[in-house]
Amino acid sequence: MDKRTNEEWIADLGAGGDRQALALEDLRAIILRGLPYAIAGRLDPKSPETEALTEEVAQETLLNVLKYLDTFEGRSQFTTWAHKIAVRAALTELRRRRWSEVPLPDMTMDDDMDASYRELPDHQANPEEQVSRAEMMKRVNRIIMEELTDKQRKAMMSIVDGFPLEEAARRLGTNRNALYKMMHDARLRLKKRLENEGLTPQEVLSVFEQAGK
Amino acid sequence: MKMKQFIQKIFGSKSQKPPSGDIPAKPSRKMQTMMEMLSNTREEELTCDEVFALLDQFTELAAQGEDVAHLMPLVQHHLDMCDDCRDEYKVLERIVANVT
Repeated sequence: MDKRTNEEWIADLGAGGDRQALALEDLRAIILRGLPYAIAGRLDPKSPETEALTEEVAQETLLNVLKYLDTFEGRSQFTTWAHKIAVRAALTELRRRRWSEVPLPDMTMDDDMDASYRELPDHQANPEEQVSRAEMMKRVNRIIMEELTDKQRKAMMSIVDGFPLEEAARRLGTNRNALYKMMHDARLRLKKRLENEGLTPQEVLSVFEQAGK
Repeated sequence: MKMKQFIQKIFGSKSQKPPSGDIPAKPSRKMQTMMEMLSNTREEELTCDEVFALLDQFTELAAQGEDVAHLMPLVQHHLDMCDDCRDEYKVLERIVANVT
């Protein structure tokens, strides 16, 4: 029976004994119907790896549903809430597998402020534009160096490189929520510093776009 | 890492530039991404956990055709900023449409 109301799900799952066991069995079947949507395009649906992952995620989801049952506020169907937990568990594991061999970008900095840096030659830009681009590049980089910590720079580099936040967080010894907060703080700092220097992100980009016009 | 290496990592290196001068010069993808991130940054943003707590409700409202960007703008903004949460929303959206 998987056509329970929210209240019936809560009551059955909290009941213990056979009643709870039956509810868990029904919920497991519902979760298994949703998981292929999380796996689609990420794993071969017929592979043994997919079968094992599906079992693992279903089990983890049931445990988390019981653990967090008291936090369900009834603002959605209970099954949507359970699917949400399953999707998070599945994608977290899939990201870990997909990115486990990819190193985080190295952003260990030293104090050698390379004064010899010049913008790389752009054969379309005239000399004046090249100077503008080089100066803007150095200016933005100086702001990044002065405003962000090593960890923030490393995280920022990972995100612009397309690294999943979850996986970057795991490598940096934190969690996704904390890393999002840290990156929000970093973005605010950079944005405000640009503003203090009379710049907007659009103006920074426009300097680089001028050469293409 | 030297400053020059750092700059090249953030904003692209010589090898990432178009090989021919006939192709218009464009800011590197990383530069573009970073500046777009800064441009879209708001003082108040929800975290991943806060969005996760609301994601089931948000997804059902969207599936019912509600204007979720207007009803829950902070959730929408976070989904625009966070690839991980957006991926999860897209999967949940398909499940709600096809399974529940």
